[in-house]
Amino acid sequence: MNAPLVEVQRDLHDYLLDVGDAVLPRIRSGGRINVAQRLGIYHNAYRVRLADTLRDTYEKTWSYLGDTRFDACARAYIDAHPPRHRSLRDYGAQFPDWLDAQFPADRDIAELARMDWLLRQAFDGPDAAALGIESLAPLAAEQWETLILHPLPTLALLPLQFNTPAIWTALERGETPPVAQRLDDAAGLCIWRREWQPHFRTIEAQEFAALQALRQGMRFADVCQSLAAGCDDAQGRLAQYLHTWFADGLIAGVAV
Amino acid sequence: MSNHFPGFGLGLRPEHYADFLDARQPVDWLELISENYMVPGGKPLAMLDAIRADYPVALHGVSLSIGSSDPLDRDYLDQLRQLHRRVEPLWVSDHLCWTGVGGRNSHDLLPLPYSEEALKLVVAHVRQVQDLLGERILLENVSSYLEFMDSVMPEWDFVRAVAEEADCLLLLDVNNIYVSSVNHGFDAQAYLRALPATRVRQIHLAGHHDHGDYIVDTHDHPVCDAVWALYADACCLFGEVATMIERDDHIPPLPELLAELDQARAIAARVAAERQAVA
Repeated sequence: MNAPLVEVQRDLHDYLLDVGDAVLPRIRSGGRINVAQRLGIYHNAYRVRLADTLRDTYEKTWSYLGDTRFDACARAYIDAHPPRHRSLRDYGAQFPDWLDAQFPADRDIAELARMDWLLRQAFDGPDAAALGIESLAPLAAEQWETLILHPLPTLALLPLQFNTPAIWTALERGETPPVAQRLDDAAGLCIWRREWQPHFRTIEAQEFAALQALRQGMRFADVCQSLAAGCDDAQGRLAQYLHTWFADGLIAGVAV
Repeated sequence: MSNHFPGFGLGLRPEHYADFLDARQPVDWLELISENYMVPGGKPLAMLDAIRADYPVALHGVSLSIGSSDPLDRDYLDQLRQLHRRVEPLWVSDHLCWTGVGGRNSHDLLPLPYSEEALKLVVAHVRQVQDLLGERILLENVSSYLEFMDSVMPEWDFVRAVAEEADCLLLLDVNNIYVSSVNHGFDAQAYLRALPATRVRQIHLAGHHDHGDYIVDTHDHPVCDAVWALYADACCLFGEVATMIERDDHIPPLPELLAELDQARAIAARVAAERQAVA
């Protein structure tokens, strides 16, 4: 009498995840390799494929940690986080948080991993055409009161505690990265895609807050007000931000 | 050449996007990994549209998990249908395997027990996909490293039964047959002879890694002599079948793959000439 298919499949999957070996008597013996070797091929392939995916997604984190350390992290993460998504694109989303928990004294590692992840998400995130600053020209004075600027759907904001962009850039160039250093002032990283290429720019806390507000759909006039509460020369700064945002291709929609 | 036999193709890999955009390449069609284009936007979809404008395209999936005891994934099917609409492919294929159970995913092409229960389940799932897409799909034989005690028929009987009962088509991976024949000690030619010839719509050729006592299907080497020989047998049995080289790792410059594809063309032409001479 055959076992139900679901049991056979569950037992093999359990074996891959190291949570049971009930599948052993279900495998035919014989041939030039034994049952353990046969199962071992799948057991190994499962880990290699997921580790390759993590290496690919977290390329700079991999170079930063080096092969041995990164692979040990990948193996442990794979054991702790068996994939449940249909697409490998989604695999590894919790890796930065996992690294944070593993290396509480070296939070620069998780921050670099977050940057890797967000750049990858931007790479194939939703399309949207960027507008030029001339799209603001037809606005009447009173329309500035209700103006809402919609940023690109690929815009991501990462608060920075370390000199992570400098580390990322050095690794990208194949150079020795600078020593991780805590930043004196609060800052953030703005990530987006332009044409087919992810871009990033380090921004100060005020611009970070302004972009966050835009992303939440806040009216531009209200963004101005909340910025004015926190710094001098809010108008001047916002005028500068506005030019930069349009020049960088960050704005995808203008609504009044 | 017709839709039934579009000619000789290659699996499109991102490493070769520029080659295909810069110049017309001597391939008749391209096969795309469906999941690589089930993304919100960006370069993959832009490349897909640009390349599709110049070449017929077949969609080849790795995540349908047609043999899982879990129900088919509705989100995945929706994405497949959307991609199908966007690409208008020559056909859609996936593997005769399962990739996970109980909501878990191994991201590997796991073999099935060749049982009546598995047959019934796969047939029902294939019909569901074919109803959704409004056309027949192709299922590919996977390479395997183990066999289940619960199997009551050889793999080739299972493949034939699925194809006939679900009324689907076959993507014959000649390398996978060779790999499994070594790993399980069966006669690869007998496998070929047992297949329903009129349902074989596409052939994959690939390389593997030979460990001596067993072979792992790695798709990171050129096609080996034994697989070329088996391809000639397949040409003899099945006639003109759309054939392509599948390379997934250690991707060489495009001209190397084009040279391998020329080898396939030459074998197919030689066998066709021999068949004609006999006739």
